[in-house]
Amino acid sequence: MLVAKGLCKTFHGRQVLRGVDFEAGPGELIVIVGRSGCGKSTLLRCLNGLELFDEGSIRFGNLVLDGGRDDRKIRALRANFGMVFQSFNLFPHLDLLGNLVAAPMIVKGMSRKQAEAIALPLLEKVGLTGHARHYPGQMSGGQQQRAAIARALAMSPTVMLYDEPTSALDPWLVDEVFDVMRKLNAEGMTQIVVTHETRFAREVAREIVFMEDGGVVEKGAPEQIFNRPRDPRTIKYMSRFAA
Amino acid sequence: MTRSGTALLLLACALSARAAPVKTGVLRWGGDSAGGAPFVFQDPKDLAKTVGFEVDLAEALAAELGLKALFVQNQWDSLVPGLKRGDYDVVLNGLEITEDRKAEVEFSEPYYLTYEALTVRKNSDDIAALADLKGRRAGTLKGALAERLLARIAGVAVVGYDTQTMLYDDLALGRIDAVLLDHPAAVYYAIDPRLKNLPGRFGRMAYGAAIRKGDAQLLARVNAALARLMKSGRLREIYERWGIWNPVMAAAFVDDHPERRAEASAYAGYLAARGVRLGWRAKLAKYAGYVPLLAKGAVTTVELSLLAMGIAVVLGLALALMKLYGPMPVSALATVYVEVIRGSPLLIQLFLIFYGLPTLGIKLQPFTAAVLGLALNYGAYEAEVYRAGIQSIPHAQMEAAFALGMTRWQALRHIIIPQALRVVLPPTTNDFIALLKDSSLVSVITMVELTRVYGQLAGSTYDYMGIGILTALMYVLIGLPFVRLSRWAEARLAVERRPRIS
Ligand SMILES: Nc1ncnc2c1ncn2[C@@H]1O[C@H](COP(=O)(O)OP(=O)(O)OP(=O)(O)O)[C@@H](O)[C@H]1O
Ligand SMILES: [Mg+2]
Repeated sequence: MLVAKGLCKTFHGRQVLRGVDFEAGPGELIVIVGRSGCGKSTLLRCLNGLELFDEGSIRFGNLVLDGGRDDRKIRALRANFGMVFQSFNLFPHLDLLGNLVAAPMIVKGMSRKQAEAIALPLLEKVGLTGHARHYPGQMSGGQQQRAAIARALAMSPTVMLYDEPTSALDPWLVDEVFDVMRKLNAEGMTQIVVTHETRFAREVAREIVFMEDGGVVEKGAPEQIFNRPRDPRTIKYMSRFAA
Repeated sequence: MTRSGTALLLLACALSARAAPVKTGVLRWGGDSAGGAPFVFQDPKDLAKTVGFEVDLAEALAAELGLKALFVQNQWDSLVPGLKRGDYDVVLNGLEITEDRKAEVEFSEPYYLTYEALTVRKNSDDIAALADLKGRRAGTLKGALAERLLARIAGVAVVGYDTQTMLYDDLALGRIDAVLLDHPAAVYYAIDPRLKNLPGRFGRMAYGAAIRKGDAQLLARVNAALARLMKSGRLREIYERWGIWNPVMAAAFVDDHPERRAEASAYAGYLAARGVRLGWRAKLAKYAGYVPLLAKGAVTTVELSLLAMGIAVVLGLALALMKLYGPMPVSALATVYVEVIRGSPLLIQLFLIFYGLPTLGIKLQPFTAAVLGLALNYGAYEAEVYRAGIQSIPHAQMEAAFALGMTRWQALRHIIIPQALRVVLPPTTNDFIALLKDSSLVSVITMVELTRVYGQLAGSTYDYMGIGILTALMYVLIGLPFVRLSRWAEARLAVERRPRIS
């Protein structure tokens, strides 16, 4: 369904992605791991066109993107993705419901009523029914991140991208976010997740992708990557991780 | 000015001569009612009335021409530019006939001749002539002929004043040692019992009616009318009533009737009005009487400021967006605009809009020009405020909007700008209060707003302190509701700071 081939990206003469190949099928949950600065966020941002890449191609269904600055094509691709950020990035001047209906109304031209008909069940799904009229600044990090997921879902994406969704949360709030992701996984949503939470990765990921220095080193089932890594770089990373 | 500029100017003058006074039946004449007695000033007894020997002259002149006199108020410094713009057809306001001015406008034959008079304190017996001023401080009005005369005497410290009242007050107080000023002004302002006018006559000044170049017909008719007024003794009667008939005039008019014909009744009335000492009750009543006049000026100030600020906000936002997100030429253009407008004085911008644009065929009404001038100027300041405001919103907000499929414009309009507006509300309110006060500058383009009304009232009642305090209070009062409004809006909009729910 989603196939990226040979993605290369250079920031100010520094190569951050060196020919990354990446694939995701429908309903899969894929976890990307790797050291800080290895290019995980950049890969994620390239997938939904937030970042332009220099070489390679991204194919999603019939859509093919091969670098370049074709705004219409990029936005057509992006319409298939929802994205969740480490720092939530909710719109602080809108209440929760406002956050959820904003994009459907602005981008899709829905009426407020239509948009709310989509938003309210989503609030329920992420367990925030009573918070429709609360502002982001009034809520805990876990609640905010769940709201951010609902906001992304309101645009009916096919694939959800998460960039370290729980890194900014207190440990006891992490699970409420993962619970939502588990639920989505059960419903068959395709999800690509950058996270350091091995427990979650082991439990739900169909595949683990290990990156280092702008390239994919090894990928496979969680059990294989975590317990029996083959590549020496993966072994080194995992040993540290376990310790 | 360049040659083509001059050509345009002449063209504009020729065009604006269309509204010839003969056709309208009205003689529009320009003057400044804050310029002081006895020329054109507000009657201390009835501030709604403009009086002065030039008011009488204008009426006599108009009657002689078979027209009705219509007074048009303008700041004294701007009387000639206003004439060129075609706001009125004649200037009658102590405009001295000089070579410089003759290059700009035509002058009638002089209607009044005078000289500079020296005023000192009664007890200073050692000053009798200009040469005695050596080593002393001499005051005069800024830009007066007397200023140039004083500058020619070595060793005199020349002090320039803005108003006659302050000039002679300072002489009486001993802050300066002598005042050199036009004789009529000395007659009217050096009335403190501690002062005396010396008999010496210094220099010579001729006041003429200024008329647009190219208005030859009107010039000829005004000259003929003045000659008739002179011959009939009507002119002399006016000067005598105002107590400013003088030997120089007598010589020039070749007047063979040396006996006085008219009582100096106007002068006596003026002295009487100035001499009145009021108790605090009467004083309060007097100030209460000024409030309606000041309030009228305040309304103009508010209208002007609100409109100008509204436009400035929109313009500033547009400029900020151009600067931040426009392609190179657009953002460069916005930057140049902001720097040029911010870097140059508002006063000069107002002048250019009001007196400069007509040379390009764009003649704006005073109110329009005032709003435009203030808006264009404050737009540049707002642009910088909004740029900072927009930049203070984390880039992550833009990314989140992008990730949801919004275009840059949608993200700006619905996500970034609404948040930035909350940030810029306090500085924008601040700028509005500043604009409220800067709006007083538009009096240079004939607008009569609060500060202008203050100038007129103070100039004709000689009470700069009391009315000054009253006016300052009015500015504060005007600003307060807007400060409150902004606080309220701030509190309402500050959703980010609402308490955490559990
Ligand atoms: N906009 C940018 N301009 C310049 N360099 C960038 C930019 N974004 C990322 N980089 C660099 O690219 C490299 C990869 O960044 P990226 O954010 O993809 O890493 P990451 O794997 O997500 O790391 P982390 O775990 O810290 O989030 C880093 O060295 C980073 O400094
Ligand atoms: Mg990252």
